[in-house]
Amino acid sequence: MRIRRPVLWLLTALIVAASAALWRPGAGYARQDRNATLAAASVSHPAGTDALGRDRLVRVAVAFLLSLAGAVAASALTTAAAAGVGTLAAFGRASMGWIAMLICDVFLALPWMFLLMMVRSALPLTTSPANSAAITFLVLAALGWPASARAVYRGAQQLRTSDWMLHARSTGLGRAGVVRHVIPNLFPLLVPQFLISIPAFVMAEANLGALGLGVGEPLPSWGGMLFELNNSPMLMQTHWVYFPVILLVLVLLLLEGVAAEA
Amino acid sequence: MNTGFQVLRWLGRTLAIILLVILGSTILVRFAPGYLSDAREMDSRYAAEARSELAAEAAHSHSIPQMLAEEVGGWIRGNFGNSRQFDVPVAELIEPRLAVSGGLLLRGIGLAWLAALSAALISSAGRNPSLLWRTPATVLLAIPTAALATFCLLANSGGPVLVMALLLAARDFKFLDHALRKAWLEPHILQARAQGIGTFRLLVVHIGPALIPQLGALASLSIVTALSALVPVEVLFNVPGLGELAWNAALNRDLPVLLAVMVLMALAVSCSGIAAPGLADWERA
Repeated sequence: MRIRRPVLWLLTALIVAASAALWRPGAGYARQDRNATLAAASVSHPAGTDALGRDRLVRVAVAFLLSLAGAVAASALTTAAAAGVGTLAAFGRASMGWIAMLICDVFLALPWMFLLMMVRSALPLTTSPANSAAITFLVLAALGWPASARAVYRGAQQLRTSDWMLHARSTGLGRAGVVRHVIPNLFPLLVPQFLISIPAFVMAEANLGALGLGVGEPLPSWGGMLFELNNSPMLMQTHWVYFPVILLVLVLLLLEGVAAEA
Repeated sequence: MNTGFQVLRWLGRTLAIILLVILGSTILVRFAPGYLSDAREMDSRYAAEARSELAAEAAHSHSIPQMLAEEVGGWIRGNFGNSRQFDVPVAELIEPRLAVSGGLLLRGIGLAWLAALSAALISSAGRNPSLLWRTPATVLLAIPTAALATFCLLANSGGPVLVMALLLAARDFKFLDHALRKAWLEPHILQARAQGIGTFRLLVVHIGPALIPQLGALASLSIVTALSALVPVEVLFNVPGLGELAWNAALNRDLPVLLAVMVLMALAVSCSGIAAPGLADWERA
């Protein structure tokens, strides 16, 4: 709790600053200033422009907000799926638990990046930017639940054999009642799972984007901005191309700080 | 439970996982948009009827049972089927790349363990967790693999092995530092230190063996993490390994290649997972 408060304040300040950057007059992530390509920092472009003359600050702000919103939504979906599967596996029939854990093992037997790459490539690669962003985070949510489900399953199993649960069931508590009482008791397990997944999803999106399988242009994304770093002549002209990566690392540090304290 | 039964159980579970990986991958790739597309369908010289006949033929020859039969047949013959993209047996594509990726993984994991263990031994000797060691590890964990690889390329120093080693070392260090710090505070270790037993002897005779089960679990985790980092590292550094092959196969929907790589990965992860419980049993004995 010692670290979490300043970390949360800093994260909130970043969100407010990013939102403010979007409210500037004339700000648009796809808007091009063709007379100022690869421009250095100035009053009109506080973090310079990219090779197409697009304002880097606005693009970074959109990438940050989009990635954070996507990762939070994906993490919420993952946690909800993990809670459902873990609870059903622990309180359902033994065969149901066995099958659920086997499915988790199948997902966990494949390295995360290979699995993501395969599923993402099986989906349309050429869609609208907004759809590609939605698909990327939905894929992350669809593949991220097994590790959390395993943790929830273990926690739910402990609850199942706890004294109060045995007492409640022996006095006739039905299945719906069991679920109603179990889920709140799993919150101390679900909240860290939710918080841990957020930085993991932000990082996965950046890695996928850098491989050309993430959010489509012109929508800005962390992964898309990593591509910029492959252009050496551009790096000679302006050091502002490092700005998105530095901010990405800062955001990940803050998110991991929040998760570590949970 | 005897060892034979445990081995049989592990084999059965691994086989079931691999079969499910094959089935899931086949269904996924079969239903991928554009999987059935044929270049001839885009050729304007073909009449509309001929193009619809080609599409119907493709749909018919790519039914899931037939695709599964072809895949399993390829595995039985030992060539893992034919690559759609390169039209050569998949085994020919995988064999040379297996050595490249294997070498990269071994050197990366070896270097990471050496760095993490050395740092953890020095760090855990101090009374309190030191920021000097923890800060670099925390920052490294917050850098995406692709970003780290790009930085190394830009700095023109370090290669795929260094990137892999840095990523793994940061993760391993956190685990080892925590485990060693806890081990130094065990009552019997404190007693032994009070009696004047040397640090080296304590590490080799008492702390090391007690940590073996945890090290087994960490080794499994290192392998899984290294396999995940393989794709961005190989793609960005242009290393002709399995990660790059899988990336190309994924972009081109080359199902036989993708399946073979996936099954190899599932096998590697399953085999690495057996080490941890096995070592735990050894320790209990």
